[in-house]
Amino acid sequence: MSWDLNRSNTHIIPFEFEYHEPKSLDEAVELLKKLGSEAKVLAGGTDLLIQMKMGVLRPKHIINLKKINGLNLIVDKGEYLSIGALTKLRDIEKNEIIKSRFPALYQAVKSMASIQIKNMATIGGNLCNASPAADTAPPLMVYNAKLKIYGSKGYRVIPIEKFFKGPKQTILENDEILVEIMVPYPKPYTGSFFIKIARTSMDLAKANVATKIVLNENDVIEEIAVALGSVAPTPIRAKTVESYLLNKRFEEKTVYKASKLVLKDIKPITDARSTAEYRRYVSQAIVYDALINSYKMIRGEKK
Amino acid sequence: MTYRFIGKDFIRHDGIAKVTGQLEFPNDIYLPGMLYGRILKSPYPHAIVKKIKVEKAERLGAVVITPWDVPRVKFNPRLVSVEEATYKDWEILTDHPRFVGEYVAAVAAESEYLAQKALESLEVEWEKLPFSLNPFKSMSDPSIRIHDKILLADKWVNVENNIACKLDYVEGDPDEAFNKADVVIERSFHTNRRYHLQLEPKAVVVKPEINGGVTIWTTTQSIHNTRILVSQVFNIPLNKVNVVKVPVGGSFGSSIQTNPVVLVATALALKARRPVKISLTREEDMYEHCSYEMYLKIKAGALGNGTLIAGELENIMDIGAHQIQPYPLLGVALGWFVSLYKWKNIRYRGLAVYTNKVPSGAMRGFGNPQVTWAVETIIDELAEKLGVDPIDFRLKNYVGRGDVFWGQGPTVKSVIKSDGVPYLLTKGAELIGWSKRGDPRAKKGRYRIGIGVARGFHTSGAGGPLSGSVIDYTGAILKLNEDGTIDYITALQDCGGGTLDAHVKIIAEELQVHPEKIRVVYSDTSTTIYDVCTHASRGVFVGGEAARRAAHILKEKIKQYAWYLLGEIATPDAIKIKYDEETRETVLYVEGVAEKQITLRELAKMLWQKNIGSLSATVSYRAPSAPPAYTVCFVKLLVDTWTGIVKPLEVVFGVDCGTVINPGLAEGQVHGGFMMGWSMALLENTVYDEETGELLNRGYLIDYKIPSAQDTINPDKFTVFFAETYEPDGPYGAKGLGEAAKNPVAAAVANAIYNAIGVRFYELPITPEKIVEALHKKLGGENELGS
Repeated sequence: MSWDLNRSNTHIIPFEFEYHEPKSLDEAVELLKKLGSEAKVLAGGTDLLIQMKMGVLRPKHIINLKKINGLNLIVDKGEYLSIGALTKLRDIEKNEIIKSRFPALYQAVKSMASIQIKNMATIGGNLCNASPAADTAPPLMVYNAKLKIYGSKGYRVIPIEKFFKGPKQTILENDEILVEIMVPYPKPYTGSFFIKIARTSMDLAKANVATKIVLNENDVIEEIAVALGSVAPTPIRAKTVESYLLNKRFEEKTVYKASKLVLKDIKPITDARSTAEYRRYVSQAIVYDALINSYKMIRGEKK
Repeated sequence: MTYRFIGKDFIRHDGIAKVTGQLEFPNDIYLPGMLYGRILKSPYPHAIVKKIKVEKAERLGAVVITPWDVPRVKFNPRLVSVEEATYKDWEILTDHPRFVGEYVAAVAAESEYLAQKALESLEVEWEKLPFSLNPFKSMSDPSIRIHDKILLADKWVNVENNIACKLDYVEGDPDEAFNKADVVIERSFHTNRRYHLQLEPKAVVVKPEINGGVTIWTTTQSIHNTRILVSQVFNIPLNKVNVVKVPVGGSFGSSIQTNPVVLVATALALKARRPVKISLTREEDMYEHCSYEMYLKIKAGALGNGTLIAGELENIMDIGAHQIQPYPLLGVALGWFVSLYKWKNIRYRGLAVYTNKVPSGAMRGFGNPQVTWAVETIIDELAEKLGVDPIDFRLKNYVGRGDVFWGQGPTVKSVIKSDGVPYLLTKGAELIGWSKRGDPRAKKGRYRIGIGVARGFHTSGAGGPLSGSVIDYTGAILKLNEDGTIDYITALQDCGGGTLDAHVKIIAEELQVHPEKIRVVYSDTSTTIYDVCTHASRGVFVGGEAARRAAHILKEKIKQYAWYLLGEIATPDAIKIKYDEETRETVLYVEGVAEKQITLRELAKMLWQKNIGSLSATVSYRAPSAPPAYTVCFVKLLVDTWTGIVKPLEVVFGVDCGTVINPGLAEGQVHGGFMMGWSMALLENTVYDEETGELLNRGYLIDYKIPSAQDTINPDKFTVFFAETYEPDGPYGAKGLGEAAKNPVAAAVANAIYNAIGVRFYELPITPEKIVEALHKKLGGENELGS
């Protein structure tokens, strides 16, 4: 539905819809199967409700997942951390394990929205909204997160990189729900970092980046992941940068050269927030900065 | 001079109500039987409405009005200028919308939801017309005719080439002076078009009265002008239109004019015979008003000894689809130009041009931040070319004490009597470390620090010795209550800056009554004396002096009665008045005669008990001048040459506002003014979609950013200092401040960016995109590595 200023009214939700609060995943999936594209899933609502008030989305049914138990927990599973899809961003920001073991995710969430919004918004909602600028996506990509999805055919688990199809599009089927994000713990000597370029604090990204490096005792890069947002139709990995740096000694000059290669990985556009040209330019700077800061994290120079 | 109440901080009269959320704004007003209104807006930037089918909406129970149901009079929503200087091109609802968002029809229903349903059921037949989003296109494309004819006062004038109004001015012989000049610089500037983003979106409640009149609660900076406009448009006598004064949730100039929504709600209420509320969403509010977007061209000439001898300004303004006050602004923009520096020989060409965009209005500084940005950039460039320190250059050429000042344009002139500029410039330079700012050519590395300076000023009101073309006077009423407390009744609005608290302190000082015994009464147009508007930084200077005069009259009456009641005293002049800190009483006494004294509380009670009567004072006051408040802004900032991101490091802000009445609030004005100017320099713009004529962000704040608290400067790095001056025409020596606190900022930021990276920008906002692009060109595409 295209935008029409006379159909937008942010004081209210300017249309009628049926509201559902399923008590279990099965009930939710059944509803989704029955209602099809006429239904929208509400996780936190901070993206969905805006679009409803704007009048660009007028679903006939809203399925709020909040009454389903167990979807909003952060649990240490030994090998990996399990984050329920309905976990509030504010709970992620306050979680000590995430802050110490997944600093890039912590920094990403810290950079998002106001506290009031973060008390509503959920990590699953941020991912399923599938904005190319979703701040939680690049960190989860560099940490090799896996997504657990439930639908009428049962559970399936996919790597997060396979999740996004395009702006506002994911691989979720109509009757599927993202239920859990599984993030493996990084190895020792891992450094990771997140940077966002935006107009102001608490803003959507013009470009964002998360990096992760694992070094051996000689400062050789044994593992590397670089992911960017808002510079392509979906959040993306910068494979050219990664392959250039893999197995090289971590040196500023090498990193600088590598950062320039990010131009081969991104396909930015011009929109209301920034220009394609600026995004190309700044991507190089933030890839460099994030890699240098990842290194500093390993060396304990940065908290 | 030391005062007992002036210059001290007290809890604001509205402070506790504000921080606890108890203060009621127009949107908090609910009346029994009230309907909710919604307005149908044009989705096209230029169109003719052929037909509106209202049946479906009426079947839903809604009251509907179309352009054909309301008075078809052209008006200007702003009544600050005299009639001969007021162009009228607005209608309540129009069948010829000229911008996306213009009001075409309206509905009222039992709930906002039903009103929305009714609105969506209106069927409109549109005929799209060619449109222009650019003033140069408007002037050159004959297929675009935004207005054919408009009213000036009550005479029709034809609009040629979409030029709304113009003003030319020459003084001296600029051509000869430019020939004589050793250095001449000419530059073109283009400003941004900012949205006010005041906290409170516009709201109104209108109640029809049994006598055919209306009572109105609304967001306004002028209850009296709102009353007069409604009276004129609906042909209701003034004594049947009553506008209630309700606190304003911020304005920055966005409610100088009567908000068009007031007229729509009035029309709906008159038709429905029930109270109607309309409350705009933030998005609708963004389609209501913005600042003036200016294309400025300045040519400046100076002699080798650093004396300015000629200045030329071309000012082409993109005013959007309707006139609020571009004609006064053409004069005022010239006023800002000539009152900054002594150009001696001046030429000015001003044009206001219609486009199919949101109408422009005054926004904190009324064109002054724009003109000052351009002038203070040129002044910096001239100083550099002449090899003179920019501060010395400014000191040599600025307009100061003894000079004729016409900040509000050619019809509002007065002589400057107070001037703290030399102190502000020299003290500020010392505090920021001006001499160590360095040459941009010598600066290397990724992160570069720059220091910039700019001067600014703003008038205090629009008064003056001659009547002129601007209406500027105010009124005040003071009442001594039966227990010695005071009621202060004024129409003057406090836009949030604490203006009325300043008045309270002025009254307190004059009467020696503690501020907590003075109540600010929120009344209405039927019980207050006319006040033009809280704008032009006049609240303290004009309104404060009216309050002082009323307090003085009341004081004389009090002394008369103290003389009479105490007995045996030869003359009322022997009665003195003081505040006793210990008893917290105001005491009337005779020096050296201890037994001859009475408290104000006792006196007030006696006046009542002895059937003597009440004491009060009423004043209507016009200020004889509009003196400049001066400001100087020094800013130190950091540019990341890789990302183009600019961060503030330190601010030193010098202020000459005469006597400081509210020290804490005055400092707050400076902090707010700085951030607003910073945001103007680097961030804000309302951009249009070339295809559809809509705002690119469609009114959503998600894509209209201003700095948040996290983006502001550390308060420890922000120094505000005041010059100790005394303005003889102001209450206890005070001048204005609100706008002066913003006017120099964009220029100071731009000059600091130049000092950091050696690049000048002539278009606002100076975004990271523009900085990176400019550096990319300058450095030939190569980044430097490392910091």
